[in-house]
Amino acid sequence: MILTVLRIMWLGLWRDRGALVLAFLFPPLLFVVFAEVFSGSTGEGLALNIALADQSQSGFSRQLIDSIETIDGFELSVLDLQGGLPAADDQLSDLVRRGAADAAIWVRAELSSDIDSDAPIVVIGDSSKALALAVVQGRLQGLLQQEFPALNVARAVTLVDILAGPYSPEQQQLLDEVLAEMEAEAATGEAMPEPVNSLIEPRMLQGATGVDDDGGISYYAGAVAILFLLFSAMQGAISLIDERSSGIVDRLLAGPGGAGVVVFGKGLFLNLQGLVQVSLIFALAWWVYGIDWFGKFDLWLVTAVLASANAAWLAMLTASLCATRQQAQTAAAFLVLILSAIGGSMMPRFLMPGWLRELGWLTPNAWAIEAWQGIFWRGQSWSELWLAWLVLGLTALLAMWLSLVLSTRYARA
Amino acid sequence: MSLSEPVVAALQDVRFDYPGQTVLAELDLELIRGECFGLLGPNGAGKSTLIKLLCGRLQPASGRILVNGQNPKLSAAARRSMGLVPQQVALYRHLSVLENLIAFAQLSGCRRSAARSAAKQTIRRCGLTSVAQRPVHELSGGWQRRANIACGVVHAPSLLVLDEPTVGVDLPARLEIEHLLAEMASNGMTILLISHDLDQVERLADRVGFLVRGAIEPIGSPAELLKRFFSGRFEWRVMLDQAPEAGVQQLLTDLGLEADPAAGPMHWLGAVHSDQQASQRMRKLEHVAVKEWRVRQPGLDALWRALFDQPGPGMNQPDVSGSSA
Repeated sequence: MILTVLRIMWLGLWRDRGALVLAFLFPPLLFVVFAEVFSGSTGEGLALNIALADQSQSGFSRQLIDSIETIDGFELSVLDLQGGLPAADDQLSDLVRRGAADAAIWVRAELSSDIDSDAPIVVIGDSSKALALAVVQGRLQGLLQQEFPALNVARAVTLVDILAGPYSPEQQQLLDEVLAEMEAEAATGEAMPEPVNSLIEPRMLQGATGVDDDGGISYYAGAVAILFLLFSAMQGAISLIDERSSGIVDRLLAGPGGAGVVVFGKGLFLNLQGLVQVSLIFALAWWVYGIDWFGKFDLWLVTAVLASANAAWLAMLTASLCATRQQAQTAAAFLVLILSAIGGSMMPRFLMPGWLRELGWLTPNAWAIEAWQGIFWRGQSWSELWLAWLVLGLTALLAMWLSLVLSTRYARA
Repeated sequence: MSLSEPVVAALQDVRFDYPGQTVLAELDLELIRGECFGLLGPNGAGKSTLIKLLCGRLQPASGRILVNGQNPKLSAAARRSMGLVPQQVALYRHLSVLENLIAFAQLSGCRRSAARSAAKQTIRRCGLTSVAQRPVHELSGGWQRRANIACGVVHAPSLLVLDEPTVGVDLPARLEIEHLLAEMASNGMTILLISHDLDQVERLADRVGFLVRGAIEPIGSPAELLKRFFSGRFEWRVMLDQAPEAGVQQLLTDLGLEADPAAGPMHWLGAVHSDQQASQRMRKLEHVAVKEWRVRQPGLDALWRALFDQPGPGMNQPDVSGSSA
């Protein structure tokens, strides 16, 4: 009897080819995507956009930049300071704050001899991407230890020279020999590198909105919001399939509204339901974590409406494409997981391999998260958010149109 | 119902094809105000396609469809004047009966206040008062079917299309639903009833049409059709105690009886013109162990078998020549 039950279950799956494909093709596909997404968190395949400004313009700093360019996973953009612009600090901070760079390196003083400043290298990061700052700082420290082991000694020598008077020619010659020897030993791997912490100063930027948030709240409020928008919209849209099989859709199709009313009504409800969900998440973020929800309410509302419309119509399109509940459930789970993983709802996209980061722009998650973080963290305005809104809005419209076309096809079937 | 009543729905010379298959060809049908029309035909004959055409979901390849004088494909008013009761219980199961009725009234174009009063009125008319506040999923099959019909009539359509409205319902509930439908028809609602329950169709329908090879022919009242096709012949059924041996089979065949494949080898069917004729023939079966025999007017089931070429019973040769009688 158990075998009979097994056989019945198997035949049910085998004859629902759509569900069969979804059940066996999607899991390995999902594994591949997840493996790629989460491998970034180990540092392998990480692709960070790094902005760099060299204010010291010394031989040492040029050597350092050449070395940084060889670091795997760093996409380096060196700022041109030839125009005599001294405010490299501001420029770099702006790039990081706007999200154009994940972190920045500012070589603000001569590395070996300028000991007046606290540290000659400043690594600038955004607290919403604290991990990026830590990674850059760590990689830079490693680089300095490996390739510039005599740097600390050279700085100490300069300090002694200032405090205790100039060295004699013999002392100077001996020091030069020692430094050269250290360089040579470092090259052969024999030297024990000295700590170079004092050479690097980490600087964490806070949000532009002045709210005491480490950036994680605005990030994860958006990330969780779009994730659950997709989840609940998919669940709601599956009722279309239930209503088809129960005859309700047939009844409604015979009425004055026709197919369009059924699909549009459902999509609109899911949109409104999503809006309430997002409101609850951000209300909590305002109440508990103090994000400036009311101060940015207009911008937030536009993003929330467009993001929930996007999720609603994507869900309606998925349900319209599926013939059975089983197909729709598997497809919905797959879609939500994939979009959320690639789009940054599960892990910040800057930790993903470069190609996956680019692929993330094809998901509503990435655009919604960018827009909300832009509003609450970077203090962006209408003029900077329009692209995200346009993408979310146009894809929602496209999905709506396709859903309506498919529903008309169903009515004629 | 009289044929002088206005036509509520008309299908004129309608043709519809699916790729590689003609489903309906030169189909003509007029539904008169207040009549109950029974549409019969085997599975796959095109009944569902006809419903979709009537509801405006499909466009015929040729011909004309009018509901209250308008093309239902183009006119929302025409569709609003129709109610559809699908074969399934097409209700929102988590809503109460009243909430379902209000919802479907609104979806049929009624404003909220009108929908509410129409729903309450329909609940009374359909005898649903005792279950009005209960969620559909808590109701028995009979109540669900009743609510299913109520949702199809809540917006007071002039044409109600019913697809197997009592399937899976026990006899008392079925009879109650039939009574309800008869009452609706007597109040002027036109009913297109699609059912495989031939007895039900015979009880309810003023006219019956058989969908055969894409056209509805024959059409007429059950009595007319039976008279036309069987012209005074009666169905003669003989039930034996056991399956007959070869010699008995030959005797039965000689008397004009044929085994009824639907009922088994002990059931034999034939046609006679009177009780007396059947009695005379039964005398020749004195030595055969007959459990029971009877003579009855042929029903739509006999006509069905005749039209759709079901093998066996002796009534499957319609006496078309006697149709003018």
